Amino acid sequence: MTIFISGGNKNGKSGYAQDAAVKLAGGGKLYYVATMIPYDDEDRTRIERHIENRAGMGFETLEAGRDIQKVFDSADESGTFLVDSTTALLLNEMFPNSHSEKADENAAQRCISGLLEIARRAKNAVFVSDYIYSDAARYDEFTEEYRKSLASIDRALAQACDTVIEVCAGNLIVHKGQLP
Amino acid sequence: MDLIIGGAYQGKLDYAKKRYGLDDGDICTCTESDGISFGHRCIYRTEEFVMWCIRSGKDAVEFLEQHKEEWKDSVFICEDMFCGVVPLGADMRAWREMTGRTCSYLSSEAVNVIRIFCGLEQVLKCG
Repeated sequence: MTIFISGGNKNGKSGYAQDAAVKLAGGGKLYYVATMIPYDDEDRTRIERHIENRAGMGFETLEAGRDIQKVFDSADESGTFLVDSTTALLLNEMFPNSHSEKADENAAQRCISGLLEIARRAKNAVFVSDYIYSDAARYDEFTEEYRKSLASIDRALAQACDTVIEVCAGNLIVHKGQLP
Repeated sequence: MDLIIGGAYQGKLDYAKKRYGLDDGDICTCTESDGISFGHRCIYRTEEFVMWCIRSGKDAVEFLEQHKEEWKDSVFICEDMFCGVVPLGADMRAWREMTGRTCSYLSSEAVNVIRIFCGLEQVLKCG
């Protein structure tokens, strides 16, 4: 089963996604696909907090900041994969060297094909994204390109996944399919 | 009249094209500089029409009320821009406020209201 989860920030998406992945795994192999590449102490603190939250849940962590389909080099397809988040993956793919350089224009397409490969090959997969599309602002070109790219990834995953959930203040809005 | 609402890049126009069988000639894409052109089956980027209203000192809801006969069978598409922090700039605040009132007005007039989330429809009002 494949699940796509989105919604506003700090609403409980990651927590729900972890619970859903554990449930889907049913005692089988459970992988946390870590997409964040730390750039500073703030990032490192956040990652440590995430690791603490997952402790004891049975996740094996796979580092995949780019080329996400490479998780299959070391992981078993019959397992359950939690990818949190597409937002970080896209950032790494768009700005491969540092956050200040020119954006890679093929980044979104690369993310889509890698993520869809996971959706296709893995027994179970849970994908987490961020809904960043409903504010009143005129953004700079880079930010706008990032939003547009992330939305194209979201739409591809929403189409491919069995279930699509929006998390709002810890509550679930099911847009497609059934809850696990 | 129907209203389609949703965040940026969610697939609102693609959805409208499919649902109503629209081709490019059926669609008026509003702009900040030229406003709106009635008489099209689909009014796209309603939020840009609102920005045109702000730039030209008009109230979007009053303007729409005056021209109701010209759009009563159209499909409006508007961006949901109402979940971020209050914008710092006064014109952005005015834009958000007027777009919100415009959406509420169109929603009350609409037969069907549909929200698009990641390309998927969510029916908010079904006439």
